[in-house]
Amino acid sequence: MAPEDADKRAGFEAEALVHLGALRGLALRLTGGDEARSDDLVQEAVLRAYRAWERYEPGTNCRAWLSRILRNVFINEYRRREARPAPVPYDEAAEAPVFPRLSAGEDPEKSFFGGLVDRAVVEAIEALDEEFRVPLVLSDLEGLSYREVAEALDVPVGTVKSRLHRARRRLQNRLYEYAREMGYVR
Amino acid sequence: MSDGTGTHAGSAPRGSPPEGISCEEALARVYEYLDGELEPGLHDRIRAHLEVCHRCYPFFDFERMFLEYVRETGRSAPGSEALRERIVSLLADGAG
Repeated sequence: MAPEDADKRAGFEAEALVHLGALRGLALRLTGGDEARSDDLVQEAVLRAYRAWERYEPGTNCRAWLSRILRNVFINEYRRREARPAPVPYDEAAEAPVFPRLSAGEDPEKSFFGGLVDRAVVEAIEALDEEFRVPLVLSDLEGLSYREVAEALDVPVGTVKSRLHRARRRLQNRLYEYAREMGYVR
Repeated sequence: MSDGTGTHAGSAPRGSPPEGISCEEALARVYEYLDGELEPGLHDRIRAHLEVCHRCYPFFDFERMFLEYVRETGRSAPGSEALRERIVSLLADGAG
């Protein structure tokens, strides 16, 4: 191996591979917890990043740069897939706001969020139908605007708006059910 | 929509919805508002509504906390030593 290759690899390992956990988290959320598919996605993204490493500007946000590459790999694959699952029908019970059901008085927000554990949130995100999960991950975890999500998924902005609204309410209701099962909200 | 009525009885002073926005209309836009995705005029009217509506404000506050909570906790991932090793060895084999 030429010395410059060894340098490149050492630099890449030090700066990029420290974000492997974050990339894996993003891939798992996007694929709904499919570990094998997530690992393939991460591997593909990391190899692409390595090939483009000369274009990475040192000192800029490396995790954001890698996440963007991973998102693109995922979105290309997502858009190539012709078959889409049928739209999930509106479900009033699963999509109603949770706030009115929390007991007033003793800071229900704190007791609600305070009792949740990260694992419950992660599992609830991964359990969402793809139609809701992908826009939610792109918006809430990746910080994309409605327009950016719409372009990525090739759907109108209005569709993103409504899917995101329904996704968040579905997530909220799952967490509320979890909180009730754990017994810290009534 | 100045004749809209609030969904929460007593939320609007003297029966008229604050800033011409009913609670129902404000609540339907909660995520667009929190995401900063509304056109500025409507955003300002909802903000003004929230300043005086004691029923909508805690609702919005809860949704804001919910989104922050998801952002903060939703990323966590168990590391994978196997994946790391697989990638490091691909790089070493000159997969780049």
